Amino acid sequence: MSNSLWRWPLLWISLLLISVVGMSAAEPLFHWVEPDARQVIYSRADFYVLLGRHLFVVGIAALVTISIGVSAGIAVTRKRGSDFLPLVGQVASLGQTFPPVAVLALAVPVLGFGTLPIIVALMLYGLLPIVRNTLTGLQEVDAELITAAHAMGMTPLQILRQVELPLAAPVILAGIRTSVTINIATAALGATVGASNLGDPIISGIVNGNMAYVVQGALTIALLALSVDSLFEVLQRQLRSRLSAS
Amino acid sequence: MSLRDALPTPRIHRDGLNPNAVLISLSIVMLAAFWTLDMVSMAPNRIVLGTGYSAPAAFGWPGALLATLLFCAISFLAWQPSQRHYQALLAAVVMLMALMPFGLIVSSFLLIEPELAQARLGLGAGYWVTLFILLLCLVELRLRLNLTRLWPTLLLSGIALVWWLCATLWLDSLALVQEFKARDQLFLRAVGQHMTLVGIAVSVSIVLGLALALLMRRYARLQKVAFTVLNFLQTIPSIALFGLLLAPLAWLAVNVPFLAKLGVSGIGTTPALIALIAYSLLPMVRNTYTALEEVSPVTLEAAKGMGMRASQRFWQVRLPLALPVLLEGVRITTVQAIGLTAVAALIGAGGLGTFIFQGLGQAAMDMVLLGALPILMLALVVDAGLGALAEALRPGGAR
Repeated sequence: MSNSLWRWPLLWISLLLISVVGMSAAEPLFHWVEPDARQVIYSRADFYVLLGRHLFVVGIAALVTISIGVSAGIAVTRKRGSDFLPLVGQVASLGQTFPPVAVLALAVPVLGFGTLPIIVALMLYGLLPIVRNTLTGLQEVDAELITAAHAMGMTPLQILRQVELPLAAPVILAGIRTSVTINIATAALGATVGASNLGDPIISGIVNGNMAYVVQGALTIALLALSVDSLFEVLQRQLRSRLSAS
Repeated sequence: MSLRDALPTPRIHRDGLNPNAVLISLSIVMLAAFWTLDMVSMAPNRIVLGTGYSAPAAFGWPGALLATLLFCAISFLAWQPSQRHYQALLAAVVMLMALMPFGLIVSSFLLIEPELAQARLGLGAGYWVTLFILLLCLVELRLRLNLTRLWPTLLLSGIALVWWLCATLWLDSLALVQEFKARDQLFLRAVGQHMTLVGIAVSVSIVLGLALALLMRRYARLQKVAFTVLNFLQTIPSIALFGLLLAPLAWLAVNVPFLAKLGVSGIGTTPALIALIAYSLLPMVRNTYTALEEVSPVTLEAAKGMGMRASQRFWQVRLPLALPVLLEGVRITTVQAIGLTAVAALIGAGGLGTFIFQGLGQAAMDMVLLGALPILMLALVVDAGLGALAEALRPGGAR
């Protein structure tokens, strides 16, 4: 059982590592893709450095969005913050319509070129699925369960931590999964505003007309996205089986 | 399940005596932003970074005090909210939004010396924050007053008209206006290209999506395969997919003259359209499929009992009932396509993204805005329009 659970993440992660470490070994293959180019392996930076930077940007953005998004979702579903609930719900759905490129482009005039605007754009964009799912998850918790917990003498904090959050966790986790997977792909756009990450080979490939670079960048990002996505899948399954077991 | 259904339905306290904490805190934030952040910036030419000016310097003391008075009025009215106070609040918010361009006119008189022909006025962080919070106030007031979607749309169009009049008549020195005037023909063509690309991609994906969803309902095995492939496509970043299509299409154009005659080439519209359609298919197919599946079996059974044939059941019962959810898919797809088309500018497909990437390349931020703002507005307009249409088509009418 546990073997089949981890099969996909292991496959994707090992493929990702192989492609990052052994990209230069595939040189003949890329020569076949791009016979006219003098150089077919992107060499301005090592792939593991690019991967590290990519993960760093997405990770920072994810940490901030998860902590802000979940706490905002919790705050507006409490009695004291309930005034803000309609507004936050509306903004979370409205913000989903903002195209990431536009958010990125609007962040640059304020923050300048480099890694900072892409982190901010990812934070803004990734916040909304998390807030939306936290709200949905917490509101779907059966009101009678909360009343029952209250009647058992649980404090509001205990109700939140032992009843509401565990029950809402699958929905919240689904929001985090959406947010992170989208952000892995969106972070590649950062290469257009001077942030160095896995988008770099793609952009320089498009600019110089070198398909091999594009393939290398795209392959690595796709493998990264699939690895992370499959890890979340495992996490969700474990959570679900734990919920149904208890 | 559609996104709109997944959202919490707003719970509103109707007692009307508690202070409205939302509007009060929004107006306090607005007041803080207004007095601490730069409202406008003035640059002697296009490339130099402008110097920022705070509210009193930008709008003069009378202007700054008038705005402060209106912010305080919002707090005051929100302290004891009633139906009438909410209406007054709506009036105050709309008035502030309509007054904003006049503030810019004042600052162009105050800050720009007539001999500097190249000088341009930029919008400061404070200005954007104020505008954004006013929009939030509008959303909040719409919920409190229980207005339909039509009202804010009408009010915002009115405000947009005021803005547009001010921009064309008196705001020649505004950087955004200057960028527009320098390339107004190009801009209009870019908007046209953008909408054409989105239009073609979405209509093709509607047809393909419907066909695929119908096939999936017939052949259950196809469902898993198709969703796996479409899910995989979504994980490839958009710029990569655009880039990856360059090579094979260029090869086709060189080796198959017939396709080249049709306009297929490695760079430009064809790879952009293929990638856009590939991305649009997943949300389209997913929503179409769930829309058709979700129709209540009891209703279909009743239709069968009434003696309807299979085709009648599909066209007269299943499809009309599925239509709102189906339109939800069209809405999500279109909004996504509007954003992706901006990225397509990187491979020479044209559209509004051209301005974004050119502006980023030249470090000309106003040009970036000229591309990004219309994309944002286009997305919001499409979202509101299709959302309203889906609401109206819901069985039993809107609300």
